[in-house]
Amino acid sequence: MLDKEQFDVIGKRFDIKNIGKVTGEEIYSCDVNIPRQLYAVVLRSPYSHAEIKKIDYTEAEKMGAICIGPDDVPDTLYNERIVSIPDKTYRDRTVLPKDKVRHVGEAVAACAAETEEEAFAALKKIKVEWGKKWEPVVTLDDAMDSKAPAIYDHVYLGEKKVDVKNNLACERNISVGDVEEGFKEADIIVDETFNIKRVYHMQLETKSAVCKPEANGGITLWTTTQGIHNVRILLGHIFNISLSKINVKRITLGGSFGSSIQMNSITPICVALALKARRPVKLVTSREEDMYDHSSYPLKTRLKVGVKKDGTLTAAHCQVWVEIGGHNIQAYPYLGCVAGWFASLYKWKNIKYEGKAIYSNKGPSCARRGYGSPQINFPVENIMDILAEKLGVDPVHFRLQNYVGRGDEFWGQGPTIKSIIRSCGVEEMLVKGAELISWDKRGNPDEKSGLIRKGIGVARGFHTSGTGGPHPGEVIDYSGATVKINEDGSVDVITALMDHGCGTWDAGAKVVAEVLKVPFEKISIDNGVDTRTTVFDVNTHATRGVYCGCGAIKFVAEKVKEILLNYAATLFEDRPENLDLALNQELGQGVVYPKGLPENYKTIGEIAEHAHTTSWGTIAYTSTLRQKNCPPCFITYFTEVEVDTRTGEITVPRVVMLGDSGTIINPELWKGQILGAYALGLGVGKLESIPYDKVTGKLKCNGFITDFKIPTTIDMPNIDNIIVDHAHTYEPTGPFGAKGIGEAALSAVASSFGNAVYNAVGIRFHELPITPEIMLKALEEKEIGGKVRNAN
Amino acid sequence: MNYKVKKIPIEFSINGQKREALVNPNDLLINILRDDLYLTGTKYGCGIGECGACTVFLDNEPVLSCLTLAAAVDGKEITTIEGLAKGNELHPMQIAFLKNAAVQCGFCTPGMILTAIALLKENPSPTEEEIKDYMRGNLCRCTGYVQIIKAIKTCATEAKTN
Amino acid sequence: MQTNTKILAQKFEYLAPKTIDEALDLLDKYKDKNIKILAGGTDLLVKMKTINLKVDYLINIKNIPELNFVDTNQGLRIGAVTSLSHIIREEKVKMKYFALYEGIMSMAAPAIRNMGSMTGNLGNASPAADTVPPLIAYGAEVKLQSKRGERTVLVEDFITGVGKTIMKPNELITEIIIPEINKNIGSAFLKKSRVKADLSKINLAVYLEREGNICKDCKIVFGSVAIKVLRAEKTENLLKGQIVNSELINKAAEKASYEIKPIDDIRSTAEYRIAMSKEMLKDGFKLAWARAKD
Repeated sequence: MLDKEQFDVIGKRFDIKNIGKVTGEEIYSCDVNIPRQLYAVVLRSPYSHAEIKKIDYTEAEKMGAICIGPDDVPDTLYNERIVSIPDKTYRDRTVLPKDKVRHVGEAVAACAAETEEEAFAALKKIKVEWGKKWEPVVTLDDAMDSKAPAIYDHVYLGEKKVDVKNNLACERNISVGDVEEGFKEADIIVDETFNIKRVYHMQLETKSAVCKPEANGGITLWTTTQGIHNVRILLGHIFNISLSKINVKRITLGGSFGSSIQMNSITPICVALALKARRPVKLVTSREEDMYDHSSYPLKTRLKVGVKKDGTLTAAHCQVWVEIGGHNIQAYPYLGCVAGWFASLYKWKNIKYEGKAIYSNKGPSCARRGYGSPQINFPVENIMDILAEKLGVDPVHFRLQNYVGRGDEFWGQGPTIKSIIRSCGVEEMLVKGAELISWDKRGNPDEKSGLIRKGIGVARGFHTSGTGGPHPGEVIDYSGATVKINEDGSVDVITALMDHGCGTWDAGAKVVAEVLKVPFEKISIDNGVDTRTTVFDVNTHATRGVYCGCGAIKFVAEKVKEILLNYAATLFEDRPENLDLALNQELGQGVVYPKGLPENYKTIGEIAEHAHTTSWGTIAYTSTLRQKNCPPCFITYFTEVEVDTRTGEITVPRVVMLGDSGTIINPELWKGQILGAYALGLGVGKLESIPYDKVTGKLKCNGFITDFKIPTTIDMPNIDNIIVDHAHTYEPTGPFGAKGIGEAALSAVASSFGNAVYNAVGIRFHELPITPEIMLKALEEKEIGGKVRNAN
Repeated sequence: MNYKVKKIPIEFSINGQKREALVNPNDLLINILRDDLYLTGTKYGCGIGECGACTVFLDNEPVLSCLTLAAAVDGKEITTIEGLAKGNELHPMQIAFLKNAAVQCGFCTPGMILTAIALLKENPSPTEEEIKDYMRGNLCRCTGYVQIIKAIKTCATEAKTN
Repeated sequence: MQTNTKILAQKFEYLAPKTIDEALDLLDKYKDKNIKILAGGTDLLVKMKTINLKVDYLINIKNIPELNFVDTNQGLRIGAVTSLSHIIREEKVKMKYFALYEGIMSMAAPAIRNMGSMTGNLGNASPAADTVPPLIAYGAEVKLQSKRGERTVLVEDFITGVGKTIMKPNELITEIIIPEINKNIGSAFLKKSRVKADLSKINLAVYLEREGNICKDCKIVFGSVAIKVLRAEKTENLLKGQIVNSELINKAAEKASYEIKPIDDIRSTAEYRIAMSKEMLKDGFKLAWARAKD
């Protein structure tokens, strides 16, 4: 990492460009109001797997509502996530299901009226005639059973029709080397099964859309999305409208964590209503609808690993199963990524990976921060601890011996995207973290006694910064921007790149400020842009916001710098390479001056004004960029837990968090990403699950967060007991040496928590969350609690 | 019940401005604020009082507007997030949130800020424990709360020195 | 049945009486109709949104000044619409009625406590209510008024089942009366929940009267372990008149775990509740004992 002192802006903290968020003026999709808008609500299936025979809207329409059903929307079969290339995209859905519903809460029909109350009253009058009903299958085993009802007969992969047997949505098998040979070489073999359950994103803003039909047959749309261009492309395809007539506005998003990578299910419903009503339509989902709409991918993993006595890994056989709910959003790339996250954590030498995705009668699973990395990290980091224990070596040293790091080949985003790691702070973080947490003093579980047991666990993880590779692959990944210098020397950055609160826009502005030497306050990367005014950006996902998104912005800014210097050169009557560009703090402006004569400067403002008054033109550039790498950003957690053996309750009094992002563009927001991820991971570790009822197919909590609890202020350690630190690395291919952090930050949290619990009580949990009920029962079975209580 | 119910006339003050309205018995304060008055800073997060995103001040006390009938605010003073700043001058708590990176997606922020202001009014020098306890009904999914607590602590300390 | 928590999706008549008499008149007038009383709204509105609880007439009593008070002269007299926050701000509650203070502080979060009232809790009659065990433990009473007259009922007898009370349709709770307690009374409230701002998995209020090292009298009241808040009378009898020592407390804890009748539900398991009842009895009793002066 370069010394941040050599930057003017990068790595320095400024008051964030978020003022609207603290004054209530920031507009999110659900805040948009268009004159004459109608309010829409969606009729949701009460059944988990049922045939739709007929829908009668007469009563509802008599109340004045505009209604739509399967016959009022296009037949187009699509996948709402078009990040993968068409050939690798499974398609199984239409805007509204024509034949049958496949999960409770699936949209069946919708209506719009003058007020939300009227719309909802009309909605209740829509009569659905149901046909055959099937028993819900809500567990992996039930869904895979040969007697399970077929949720699909066939789907499409690209243009190919694919039969679906035993609810198998897709599978992926990857082999490297020969695992059987590898296991023969091993002195110790461990074979364990783990289960990570679904959790719900619980992004604070529920999914919404506001659609205004335009006079020319097109639409303007505000919606919860991580990528406006993909929404536009999909809608154009589904509704057969020219893209030049569809304008999707970039608008602030109230959190997402991956749930809006795909176009949300309500968006085309809103569009269909608006087109039918010929009036703007606003559709905001309720929280209970949102909980049925999406949740994270679960993962059952069986992991068998072989190791030699000297600590060298020899083979790893990884089998995974994931039930994906009633629609396949991105299960195929998920299986590929899970393979990558697993394969690139440690030097397994020989690998066999078998992954299966299974349909079930639940809301569709979709990516959640980490996209399989947290799910597979848990089995891997647990097994690493198990192996270390069997070998009698320190778990930190064992990891240092085997991690995939600088100079090694890694394929984090899946087997088709391979590259060599150029920057890596793994060793620094493991060593430093161990010291900070006092790793040496943690003791062994069997040495511990007392009512409260303390334990420390370590886990590490990573994520790719984007999905770039040497050649374009299965996944589309490019971004762009227009950067222009305004007539007063301020700068507009016009980009479709989204920010879900992670600080992406902030980073983009800083990058431009650093390149053009314009003060941060004079850079606008504000909303007011849309698909019409921006070049393509695939999405802010896959931890690509800084590395890819801001990488593209930097590329464009440098072109603008070239144009600026070329123009300035004519004013100075010199060659551009004889000029320098610098930020003049006193003037609060960027200045251009002849090398060696800084006092003979012209401000950027003067230069821009001159270009304007002489009608020379605007100093601006537009382009896109595809990154050809996706360098891993790393994370390491040392978590300390306290287990109360009387109550089974687990608290986290202390934690050391270390991240490797190369150059850190905004230190405070970078920290915020890690702290936020830690809370998410704690939720997975000890609190969250969204079970479905086997008989009714409904969510046991009915979609109400009364019974879906997420961590609150009280669940995090005290400020003084949290250390967040960073590795000192520099990624040569990243903007000013930067990589990402967002998803890396979540990958290893629950793993470090689970390993800490083992260190505290000597019990290894293979399933999460570890609730007090589950902990207490396990303690009793191990006779820990029992012993202590009788002695009381 | 099929007959038309009587609308209720109410008078209230919103961010210092006196207003009158004719509301349905089942109108909720959150929707009057967001849809009729276009004060969209107050957010819908769950509708059942569990997330705190809809927090507003009612007669200077934080309440949840998703569980408050519009009819029941007759004669009362309402303050929303939009009513905190004085012109361009931000409230110290708003500044503290910005300076301490306590804002990410921002959706929970209005509720957080209002609740935090109420906390400091009741308890000008809260311990970290007291801050955490008071704020436990405001959910955030982005920040992990740490920088929010830091912002509130900073605001309390600065208020003391001023 | 589809819900929509963004709105309150039913039509009802809204009435806001300004005096107790006005309220009683309305209750009498509409006693055969579907009336619900709005004393806070946090339970009622949630039920209307999530389980479509039907209401035809909603009577908002929050604007009746005579119902909004805390009188600390003799014991505690708390007006029906007094907010939970107001109650815990009373010095006497904080310094003497520990179980009540701790019970209210364990509920939700400040905003909900600003809105909610204890009568709302009582009328809602949830077995998980956090104010009910302390009220029963202190021997509190509710005063019920109607056009026909008034009566006082022990909180313990007030709730009969899940969502069921002995209130008649034309009656209104006007105040909650809690007896005075002297120095040798100790009390405590404990609760287990998934997160701190949550409904209880199990809660417990302990009230005891101490004489030297003898437990002269006590009340052990558990919530979320049966269809209504439960007084563990067998456990109480085990403790009454006995010398307090570890052996006695352990015996009582064991007894309590047999008296409660918990079930498995979405929040917790019967097994866990039974295990916790033992730990909580021990902790709660010891705490209340330490608070009582001999």
